[in-house]
Amino acid sequence: MNWRLFWRWAWRDLKRRWLQVAAISIIIAIGTGIYTGLGGEEEFRINSMDASYDGLNMYDIRVDLTDGSYLPHEQVVDALAEIEGIRSLEGRLIVPTQVDASNNGDVILVSGEIVGMDMQDGGLDINQVYINEGRNITEADGGNPAAVLDYKFARYYELEPGDDIHIAGNIQLDFVGSGQTPEYFMIIPESLAFFGEGSFAPIFMPLESVQQITGQAGMINNIVIVTDENADLEAVTQDIEAAFAANFAETGVDIEFKDDNNVRAMLYEDAKADQEIWDLMAFLFLAGAALAVFNLSGRMVQSQRREIGIAMALGVPRHIIALRPLMVGLQIAILGTIFGIFFGFAANTGFTSLIKDLAPLPYWDQTVHYPSLITGTIIGIVMPLVAVMLPTLRAVIVPPIDAIRSGHLVAKQGGLGKWLTYLPIPGKSFLQMPFRNIFRSPWRATFTVLGISVAIALITLFVGFLDSFVATMDEAELAYRHDSPNRFVVTLDNFYPVDSETVTSIGNDALFSNWETQLELGGMLSHNGAEFQSAITLLPMNSDIWTPMLLEGNLSDQMGTIVIADKMAEDLGVTVGDAIILEHPHREGLFSFKLVKSEVEVVGIHNNPLRPLSYMSIASQSMMGVEELTNQVVVVPVPGVSTNTVRSTLFQQAGVGSVTDIAELSNAFDDGLELFKQFLQVIQGVVIFMAFLIAFNATSINVDERVREIATMFAFGLPIRTVTRMQIVENLLIGIAGTIVGVGFGWFILQAMMSTRIEEQLDDLRLIATLQPETLLISLALGILVVGLTPLLSIRKMVRMDIPGALRVME
Amino acid sequence: MITLKHISKRFDVGDNLVTAIDDISLQINKGEFVVVLGPSGSGKTTMLNVISALDNASDGKVIIDGKDISNGGRKNHFQFRRNTISLIFQTFNLFPALTALENVQFAADMRGLDNSEQIAREMLEAVGLGARVGHFPHELSGGEQQRVAIARALATGNPIILADEPTGELDFKTGVQILQLLMNQAQEGKTVVVVTHNREISRIADRVIELSNGNIVSDGPPESGKADISELQW
Ligand SMILES: Nc1ncnc2c1ncn2[C@@H]1O[C@H](COP(=O)(O)OP(=O)(O)OP(=O)(O)O)[C@@H](O)[C@H]1O
Ligand SMILES: [Mg+2]
Repeated sequence: MNWRLFWRWAWRDLKRRWLQVAAISIIIAIGTGIYTGLGGEEEFRINSMDASYDGLNMYDIRVDLTDGSYLPHEQVVDALAEIEGIRSLEGRLIVPTQVDASNNGDVILVSGEIVGMDMQDGGLDINQVYINEGRNITEADGGNPAAVLDYKFARYYELEPGDDIHIAGNIQLDFVGSGQTPEYFMIIPESLAFFGEGSFAPIFMPLESVQQITGQAGMINNIVIVTDENADLEAVTQDIEAAFAANFAETGVDIEFKDDNNVRAMLYEDAKADQEIWDLMAFLFLAGAALAVFNLSGRMVQSQRREIGIAMALGVPRHIIALRPLMVGLQIAILGTIFGIFFGFAANTGFTSLIKDLAPLPYWDQTVHYPSLITGTIIGIVMPLVAVMLPTLRAVIVPPIDAIRSGHLVAKQGGLGKWLTYLPIPGKSFLQMPFRNIFRSPWRATFTVLGISVAIALITLFVGFLDSFVATMDEAELAYRHDSPNRFVVTLDNFYPVDSETVTSIGNDALFSNWETQLELGGMLSHNGAEFQSAITLLPMNSDIWTPMLLEGNLSDQMGTIVIADKMAEDLGVTVGDAIILEHPHREGLFSFKLVKSEVEVVGIHNNPLRPLSYMSIASQSMMGVEELTNQVVVVPVPGVSTNTVRSTLFQQAGVGSVTDIAELSNAFDDGLELFKQFLQVIQGVVIFMAFLIAFNATSINVDERVREIATMFAFGLPIRTVTRMQIVENLLIGIAGTIVGVGFGWFILQAMMSTRIEEQLDDLRLIATLQPETLLISLALGILVVGLTPLLSIRKMVRMDIPGALRVME
Repeated sequence: MITLKHISKRFDVGDNLVTAIDDISLQINKGEFVVVLGPSGSGKTTMLNVISALDNASDGKVIIDGKDISNGGRKNHFQFRRNTISLIFQTFNLFPALTALENVQFAADMRGLDNSEQIAREMLEAVGLGARVGHFPHELSGGEQQRVAIARALATGNPIILADEPTGELDFKTGVQILQLLMNQAQEGKTVVVVTHNREISRIADRVIELSNGNIVSDGPPESGKADISELQW
């Protein structure tokens, strides 16, 4: 073996193919880069969350008094103090409010929640607040309006400590800092299950201050508990329930474990589910890369087949013959690894900072994930080597004479290939050429088509995610608006008699042309063992303001009838006419409620895709013990009144907890979507780039392989323009085929993911798998265009072609 | 029809300067049947390349039909070849993806002829391949491929036919058939230049140009007078 000759030969191969080698390496690098860069996102996020939850000492058990109930702090502490397994506990007072953070001319009026925290005896122990800016509240602030704002809310509106903050009742707060606490690591608005950091303001204040503001001196409505290391949570729960039954028989409690906290559960599930998407994406990219690599190396070996045959005829040992093509595999492997590490780093940095931005946590784990880095690198090295090895092996096992003789693949094909070859194609012969070229090597074309289809499938998948969420939210919005798009729903901070001053002064304001009261209560629906949370609104079913739009059944005035979401009906396995169990609050005393179970009849199914939403006739208030009480006022402003006017007016009213503007319901959602859209654009960019690389490679190899044919056409006087047009037609055919396959494939994955994973993760929603034609078309047009136009890049190559040289060579 | 004025063609190969054609001047008239003779490497193919503007001469002028084509733009060269030249390559250069018929049809289509398929069938018939129209190049023997290449060149009907070793792969009988075909073209008024190193073929030419090392060593009618095609033998 003459190694110097060998290296020279390998070097010439590289020089001739360096662009293709580089393109393939980049395709692999995108695949392995996404794999290595995102492979550890789940671990990174879970470690970061663990650190953050531990760091701020999140509760093990949270006890909520049933809505509207308050109990004296001291008595509750005394009642629970002796329970075995409780290490420490803190009472809190959580009340809804309206927040006015208007600054520098911007009107910022949003719903919020004040969390009164017990700062006594050495400050906060459970569910501490991590300070991002300014200072924390301390024991010394007790009784003063010192407040820490949620960091995400402050960040969203660029609020700085010291800025003016008012809450309902026109109370000015002393905004001392912004920070984070476990229950609000993510803001989940009640109405729409999506980002809500701009539409909801959590405010953290000393307990006494909140008690003063709300006039509930000494009272709490929430307890957080940390248990001993190995405490039996169920036993502790029973003890707590027993203690409440014994001491506060009229007050119901809702007990939640750390793991059931919906923000926490959602964050952990998100981390896991997102990882599945990254993994799928990395897999698709890797699959695309694999197809491209196999394609290129197959062609490369094919083009060396005669030389391989000649070498075999000369008696060169097979393993030495195989070395030359393998060298190219090695080059791809090395370049791919270098690019892959680079891409991986970029992907990792990009996505990590996106995560840090989307769901900021106080504490972060390191971001590099070595296991996936190592696996990704190995895949990047092994893939091109295997890809080259297979066709090489095939080439060296045939008898030398076959290798020398077979000028073209077409010589050795049966079945479809043969049939396609003889398929008559109408039209002039240069129109036939692109078809013929595709048909003469159907496998090769198939690989290219598949490679491009993977790219298109990725686009389809992501566009589909976005479109499906948008479609679902649109549906929700439509259902909320129905025949009263201008109404506002005013949630009161407590139950008030319907004829009380608080209620009537809201409704009778000159701003409003119409108003009515309703009740909103949390409950649980169950049937045959299945049970789901529900937010139940009691409203007059003959209302001329708004009633739910029904898909099935009829609205009923009767007590004990209920209208549920179709997702709820499906999940419970019930339909109109069935009886289900409703667990709902029942009022026992002035400020105490208990949960009881009643049987109710499903009389209708409404069109809102949000499962928790249920509606009952106002007549059912007697079931709940809340006759003549209300906690929600629906108002319809007279035409021409702005949202801000309505909000500022309501803000001055006593008793107003929060104001929901039905018309602007989707704004928060749109804000969250904006980020997702940007993210999608990056993905689309990368994917289109990959499709481009695949198409570029296919075209560039085609030009190389057909250099003699092209030179012959030139010799016959066919202009470069026409030759390029033929190539464009060929690429368009490939691009269109790839697109059709890709859309089908992407749509299939989308449906599969919607019906399994997403359904599990966002089980509160009826997700509508949708592909918006416009958004999809743009991606597809881009894909086809990029693939179709790649031959333009070969024009230079053709202009500079040595025509006599190309014609002279005997194949 | 074809005029070469002091044509030279040199190739730079690393440190070597290869002179393929060295100051050649000649004139070929319309309707002439010219045979260019010369040993391997004497510059025959290079000369054809220069005439067909596939390659630019290093020095000198190429005048075809009164027009100087040596320094026209690329676009003009393409047009010129499409409308004036029919090339038969030493290495055939058929399109492997097209059948025999389609290869021939391709040339006629490109020339803008209407009944391209019929022309193609006639041409293949003329070269004796009427029965093989649907075959792909790899399904044809070397000689058959060469005949397809010839049919393809003739299908354009262009006034100048440049044939590089058109009988190289052919047996005597078929070779003669092809030569007859080319002679007919000359009789129809086309200018035919046949390149070969087969001295026998030169006997039927109107004129024989002999090249050696890039120079014309002789130019005139065949030594022993123009023979009839039936007298050939090899
Ligand atoms: N592109 C090129 N680079 C370098 N040298 C070349 C090139 N093309 C031709 N030559 C040289 O020019 C000379 C003439 O070549 P040409 O192909 O014209 O010969 P030929 O007479 O057609 O020979 P043959 O009968 O073998 O086909 C040869 O010595 C050849 O090596
Ligand atoms: Mg030659």
